[in-house]
Amino acid sequence: MSDIAIQTENLRKQYRNGVLALNDLNIKIKKGDCVGYLGPNGAGKTTTIKILTNLIKPTSGQAYINGIDVNKNPKETLRHVGSLVEIPGVYEYLTPHEMLTYFGKVRRMNKKDLDRRIKEVLELVKISDWEHKKIGSFSTGMQRRLLIAQALLHEPEILIMDEPVLGLDPKGMKDVRDIIKQLQSENKTVFLSSHLLHEVSETCAKVVLLDKGKVVSYDTVDNLRNMSKIQKIDVEFLKTLTKEQIAKIKLIELIRDFDIVNGSLRIDFDGKRDTCSQILSKLVSLGLEIVSYHPASVTLEDVYVSVMGEESGVG
Amino acid sequence: MSFKRDIMEDITHTYIGIQYELRKHLRRRRFAIAIILAVVLPILFYAVPKIWNTGFAETSESFVSSNLGFVNLLIIISAALFAGDAISGEFEKKTALLTFSTPQRRTSIFAGKYIAALTAIFVIVSLYYIITILEVIQIYGINNVPLDLVKSYLLALLYVCSVLSLTFFFSSIFKSVISSTLISFFTLMMILPIVSMLLTVVKIEPWFIVTYSAGLITDVFVQPIFMGGAGGERGGGFTEYAPDFGTGVWVMVAYAVILFIMSIIIAVRKDVE
Repeated sequence: MSDIAIQTENLRKQYRNGVLALNDLNIKIKKGDCVGYLGPNGAGKTTTIKILTNLIKPTSGQAYINGIDVNKNPKETLRHVGSLVEIPGVYEYLTPHEMLTYFGKVRRMNKKDLDRRIKEVLELVKISDWEHKKIGSFSTGMQRRLLIAQALLHEPEILIMDEPVLGLDPKGMKDVRDIIKQLQSENKTVFLSSHLLHEVSETCAKVVLLDKGKVVSYDTVDNLRNMSKIQKIDVEFLKTLTKEQIAKIKLIELIRDFDIVNGSLRIDFDGKRDTCSQILSKLVSLGLEIVSYHPASVTLEDVYVSVMGEESGVG
Repeated sequence: MSFKRDIMEDITHTYIGIQYELRKHLRRRRFAIAIILAVVLPILFYAVPKIWNTGFAETSESFVSSNLGFVNLLIIISAALFAGDAISGEFEKKTALLTFSTPQRRTSIFAGKYIAALTAIFVIVSLYYIITILEVIQIYGINNVPLDLVKSYLLALLYVCSVLSLTFFFSSIFKSVISSTLISFFTLMMILPIVSMLLTVVKIEPWFIVTYSAGLITDVFVQPIFMGGAGGERGGGFTEYAPDFGTGVWVMVAYAVILFIMSIIIAVRKDVE
């Protein structure tokens, strides 16, 4: 039996307005992996997720869940999937208990398991007190929590989520992060699209970087950081830099670019140890009083901007 | 999964869908509106002549025929209320993102919605007939209840199916609830009757138009003179037509079946963009 949970083969989607959302997309996600799906607006993230959840049909190519073609056998594939795509509408005339009962029945859960799981998931997303209140009276954040509960109800092997923390307050975001971490510890597969790079780097070990419907990069967050051409040094000075000093720093050829944040200097350079040493010498030779000089940690955001190019924007 | 088990699961999904759709209809104000119409309309036919002391029709058939003249309107209003948003609503309100990504066929979901809407309208129409029968008993006595009421009732239920399929069809085409509801309503209330009238003017019997066939619901009580084709000329050279029973029934069946199948095909193929 294959250890691949999600796979796409030459997946292509061209909308009726001519927009090519996916351009022969190939991804493989192993069972038990938590993979972040990142890319600028219009990169094709939601389109991929909608194809994987049978909401739209691809123009060509295949999408597989546990080795089964989603397009050919959606009923069988979606049995193993819990999903949350974009911002779905909710059935406002129902209560969370009724709504979850509907989805549980559709997924052939027996009454005993269903009642137990409804309690558990509502507890998990912290809306137990609202179990029998009409959803129509819920805030956006509470509706979002309920939708997450729906995705987790049947204890799916694979969780596909598109911007799960959208509409949640910081506490809600942390709760979702904790839920995803818990699922990872249970060896569930998580495929998570988000524009919040911090969320992804906190929860996922691997990321797919997508642009214009194609995979730009797919690796672990650590490897991407290490391979990144972006290398930075943080320099702290005893006194605030003057305009003249800043002008002189600009003239140091070894420095690619720099930012001044709260009086500290963040330098981009080529990452070589020699260059690092030479920059320090040059700064000292300018008569600058240095308090600290150390490499800065590269964030996922740095990697993202480096790979995608700053003009794409983060989305 | 075996074919038989697969089919059984589809039926179960449809049944679950019916339960929840009916719950929706019962909880929404529009069901109460339709019930009020089903009660008030026939009561008016009884109360107004009674209060003004103008007397009732000579025969129970005439009374029932004029009373049930408004059942068509009730059916059209009910279909717009219960089915106008059946498919378009899922796309407009984005509940499709939730429901269509579950392990059930879209055909099961839409079949559930259709049957639930059908059940709700059947209840409304039945209520209208029950009140009409009670009025006939009150005015003309139990022995004068026309037996053709059964035929009329069955024709009304058949007409419900065809109207509902037409409404489902528009609901599958349009993405907006308002558009699908209004187009369905005006097609049945204005466009098709106007086309029927224009065809009549040019001496073509509009046998293929479902609103024309719906005339059978009341024609069963008072047989029109020119049943089933061109009759005679009225003043001004106007030709009158009345639907043939067999043709009318087949037209209603055809609308119900063909439009339902078409609406399902369109809705199933539609991307949730």
